[in-house]
Amino acid sequence: MLDLEILTPREALGRALADLGDMREDVVVIVADTGETTRAKLFAERHPTRFFNVGIAEQAMVGVAAGLAMVGFTPFALTFASFMTRAWEQARNTVDRLALPVRLVGTHAGFADAYDGPSHQMLEDLALFRVLYNFTVLAPADSCEVYKATTASALVRGPVYMRVGRDFHIPTTCHMYDKFEVGKAYVALEGSDVAIFTTGVVLPFAVEAARLLRDRDISAAVVHFPTVKPLDFSQVEKFAAATGAVLTVEEHSTHGGFGSAVAEYLAQVKPTKMAIMGLKSYGRTAKSPMELYQYFGLTAENISARAEELVRLR
Amino acid sequence: MSHVRGVSVERGVSLETLICKARKYIVLMAAYDPGIHLGSSLSVVETVVALYGSGRLKFNMANGVDRNYFVLSKGHAIHAVYAVAAAMGYLTIDELRETGSLGSRLQNHPEVDTPFVDVPNSGSLGQGVSVAVGLALGLRLRGRASRVYLVVGDGELDEGQTWESLAVAAHYGLTNLVTIVDVNNVQLDGRSDEVLRKGDVAGRFRALGFHVLEVDGHDVVEILNALREAEESAKPAVVLAYTVRGRGVSAVENTARQRISRDEALKYAGDVC
Repeated sequence: MLDLEILTPREALGRALADLGDMREDVVVIVADTGETTRAKLFAERHPTRFFNVGIAEQAMVGVAAGLAMVGFTPFALTFASFMTRAWEQARNTVDRLALPVRLVGTHAGFADAYDGPSHQMLEDLALFRVLYNFTVLAPADSCEVYKATTASALVRGPVYMRVGRDFHIPTTCHMYDKFEVGKAYVALEGSDVAIFTTGVVLPFAVEAARLLRDRDISAAVVHFPTVKPLDFSQVEKFAAATGAVLTVEEHSTHGGFGSAVAEYLAQVKPTKMAIMGLKSYGRTAKSPMELYQYFGLTAENISARAEELVRLR
Repeated sequence: MSHVRGVSVERGVSLETLICKARKYIVLMAAYDPGIHLGSSLSVVETVVALYGSGRLKFNMANGVDRNYFVLSKGHAIHAVYAVAAAMGYLTIDELRETGSLGSRLQNHPEVDTPFVDVPNSGSLGQGVSVAVGLALGLRLRGRASRVYLVVGDGELDEGQTWESLAVAAHYGLTNLVTIVDVNNVQLDGRSDEVLRKGDVAGRFRALGFHVLEVDGHDVVEILNALREAEESAKPAVVLAYTVRGRGVSAVENTARQRISRDEALKYAGDVC
């Protein structure tokens, strides 16, 4: 098995696409001048005839992908998450209304592109794609999961949006489970006092927070949701019932994203004390994503503090 | 397929007859649903007849892997397609009368349950252009002989996405894509040149690398000749079809006006042919 831990998330993405291309003739890749930056070039090198660059033209990219899907291809369209959302209306009107099997992959999501500042730091994509009826929404945590999620996404019948980072990740899921299934949540740690639900790259912060909580005699479960939609409702309900306190953590706006999805469900089915951790403003230019997590308070220490507060106030 | 002047061998009906019937049916639909885009449908009739009446496109979808595809990116003019389908016997007049109703398949923009349309979600302008380019790219990749016929409006040339996609077509040399621009010089807020100057449209296409043909968009023979030349072109080709919005209905001709009274509509439908 390929050693995925040593790859960056975008390298894992490029490798997964290239490998997928070996297995499936119907897989085509389209980029918007982002073949290099998304590592789609790894696919292009192996499958040059099935790779298309449409230039810096995200709206055309999404529409061209739709056209390819209509004649039986399974297109993966890749660009920075920030610029993929520029084609949201195309995703709605051209892709989602027809439930076409188009895969939109937004790379450099969250704070992954610390260097280019807030214009390049997409914190609203999960919300934007979650509201489209037919889209499946994926947010893998590390390169292992990026590889598996990319592969698994090829089998989804309708459209898929997947957010991927750039180089930052802390390998966590490689040995956490065997098989990646779209729509399934994975239990990283069992616990009884509070449940911490995560999506995307913040999973290791939550795992670390659970260790900090253990030192304070609080038993925290950590459940990872690489699929934001469809949400694994049974795991949400199970851990809400078992702990009575749910904290969601995401590298995304606190409005409309993963935490909102959990809250929408619990509010209607099993009202539970909960808190949503994420971002409340645009990002900043910084030297590394880690610097931004520190600056905006998305840290193990803050997660543990928020979880402890939930438990005490429950 | 025959290229005899104005004659469709397929159904033995002259194209002129199809055009006249189609005009009548469009106006009839306007009598039942004043919300249809009457003017825009009337400007594109000859183009739709040239495509379907010559057998390039078929209303019967079960026609093999090498069939051609149609993208009406100016989806609001879909009533021209319904009307031509009815003129050729593929829809009943009863069904035309129901257009725009909740239960009707003949929605006012092409939808998933609309019969005959390859791209059932045009209407958001510019998006059909990208889809047509994707179709042409995909069909070529599959080694199919199919062509994609794309119809856009001149107002649609305002959209950035239109030019993004046309550049892709030119860059990849998509000679299996035939683009037709219905230049009726009217858009929602008035005359196209006054809303936003389009500049030298032919020159813009040429600069991208298109083979440009210009025709009277109400002369079906000119359109057919241009289509033949476009299909044989070594470069992606575009046909600029100069038309009159609302052609034939004096109350809306050359204006941005959408609606006519039921009396006016029925009178026209009775008189036209």
